[in-house]
Amino acid sequence: MRPPALSRAAAGASRLLTPRAAWTRPASTTSSSITTLTTTRRAQPNLQPTTASRARAYHASTHPPPPPPFSPTETAILSAAYTHVPTHGFSQTSLALGARSAGYLDISTNLLPDGVFSLIKYHLLTHRELLSSTPLPPTSTLSAKVEHLTFTRLLANAPVLPHLQSALAIMAQPSYIPTSLAELAVLADEILYLAGDVSVDPTWYTKRASLSAIYAASELFMTNDTSAGFRDTRAFLARRLGEAEELGGAVRSVGEWVGFNAKAGVNVLRSWGAPI
Amino acid sequence: MAARTLLRRALPSMRSSSSLRQVPFSSSTLLQSRAASSSSSSSAIPDYAIPDPSRPTHFGYETVTEAEKIERVAGVFTSVAESYDRMNDLMSFGWHRIWKDHFVASLNPGFSPLTSGPDPRAPQHILDIAGGTGDIGFRMLHTAHTLNGNPDVRVTISDINPAMLTVGKQRSTLLPASQQAALSFVEANAEDLTKTKPLSSTSTTSETNPHTSAIPSNSIDLYTVAFGIRNFSNIPAALREAHRVLKPGGVFACLEFSKVDKHPLFNTLYKSWSFGAIPLIGQLVAGDRDSYQYLVESIERFPSQEAFRDMIVDAGFVVGGDGFEDLTGGVAAIHKGMKPRV
Ligand SMILES: C[S@@+](CC[C@H](N)C(=O)[O-])C[C@H]1O[C@@H](n2cnc3c(N)ncnc32)[C@H](O)[C@@H]1O
Repeated sequence: MRPPALSRAAAGASRLLTPRAAWTRPASTTSSSITTLTTTRRAQPNLQPTTASRARAYHASTHPPPPPPFSPTETAILSAAYTHVPTHGFSQTSLALGARSAGYLDISTNLLPDGVFSLIKYHLLTHRELLSSTPLPPTSTLSAKVEHLTFTRLLANAPVLPHLQSALAIMAQPSYIPTSLAELAVLADEILYLAGDVSVDPTWYTKRASLSAIYAASELFMTNDTSAGFRDTRAFLARRLGEAEELGGAVRSVGEWVGFNAKAGVNVLRSWGAPI
Repeated sequence: MAARTLLRRALPSMRSSSSLRQVPFSSSTLLQSRAASSSSSSSAIPDYAIPDPSRPTHFGYETVTEAEKIERVAGVFTSVAESYDRMNDLMSFGWHRIWKDHFVASLNPGFSPLTSGPDPRAPQHILDIAGGTGDIGFRMLHTAHTLNGNPDVRVTISDINPAMLTVGKQRSTLLPASQQAALSFVEANAEDLTKTKPLSSTSTTSETNPHTSAIPSNSIDLYTVAFGIRNFSNIPAALREAHRVLKPGGVFACLEFSKVDKHPLFNTLYKSWSFGAIPLIGQLVAGDRDSYQYLVESIERFPSQEAFRDMIVDAGFVVGGDGFEDLTGGVAAIHKGMKPRV
């Protein structure tokens, strides 16, 4: 008995309001095993209390608690399964082969509560966490760092690129949309944090919302990109970031931001194939 | 309510018959007896997980001893063996077939990808406990043999009640021969799988076949129990047995009626339906009010999703995520656990 796609989507979009989400760990920890759960420790601007507190209350009462991180056993199966994704995609086959090579049974994949979506989550989490070890040229500008980090994250999709579109279709299933959007928001937050964005002002939200949307669009662009080294994807990304920077100056009030954000969320969902 | 009272007066109640001795209600619960006994226990097996025929347990809302409960549950299922589907329909608004389909599909028995080189697939052995009339076991075979094209999957259907098993065996004659060949029926109490008897084809009384054998430890890939576990006298003992017979990496999976507490309005409606209407309908349809009353009460007594998940973990399983999945707002739930590798 699922709520209709639209209200779910609205719920998902409102997650972008609440970036202290999902599976973030302090960036200093190593990314080899994902076992701890902490909330974002980034500064969050104390904006107009109405918007901020409404968003948080909504988050607390309506959303299921953030999905738990993976246990050591789940990590063992998933990391082994992930090595099969380039060949077998995000599929039950990859999971079973992974369980086998981790010394478990074919049936053991039942441990993973979301089956194939667990494998997708593993992909998203692992590559987000790997971003923290991306070397950054210290002298470059904030925008250049954002672009560099975002493109690094996009490149991590390359080995599984033929299977990315089907992964996006699974992520856009109604029951997975909130988790998928939350992870997207956390990715944007992570990129801005690693790039050294310390601004605590109304653009805090705008930047994260627009980076989420840009990332999703670039990812989709990339699935059809055959240029060497994904040159075209990089150019696409750079154009979108440039546009957003211009827009960033214009969108200042919270009201404008809410409208923009809702539209961005809906567009992300549409680009994933959600029927809205 | 008036109708209930009238019916009670008009029809001789099963509860007053001598075979079902009434025991005064006591407030001791499974969890309380668990807490009380675990402190005094020094061995690795908690006391509460060792079957004790004289220990108090629940029969619906009555407190009886574990031995009496086994007898009385047998009575209930013998009397509803042929009509129990109707009861499942009533309790689930007809959803139980969909739940069973989902349960079996999500477990995906027999799924075993081939790789290049020698066939890497190992035979799978599925044990369906409280398998009654074969509803789950037959679905398992269909998924494994037909949908997943893996004939190397065997299913053992087990139940404490030979009458239920006999109905199942009868129904299995409609299956393809290859599936029938992969099926076996054994009589066993889920709390002690060291004493199982093959279902005898000539008689339904257990005394005629005195040879018992044990389901070996570490021999089962998938242990399932659907709409059965709430009837067990000692659930921790059954979970321990499940853990024993499963291979490392093997999966425990349970489908059971559960709690809709998360939806207060629905909860109220569902309770008045189940406590008010179902025993009455049971009386009218099956002529057996008390058995239906018991079934409703046993559902109400069953622990919450979270509490049952914790019992599964206590028995040594690992769970992923919440450890359970609600179906139809929690009218039923699926719990899964995996026996870890040592
Ligand atoms: C409602 S039926 C469920 C049948 C079937 N699994 C299904 O889903 O339709 C419950 C079954 O549990 C069995 N049962 C009750 N106590 C048991 C025990 N201690 N050990 C094994 N089976 C038991 C009953 O005999 C009955 O067949």
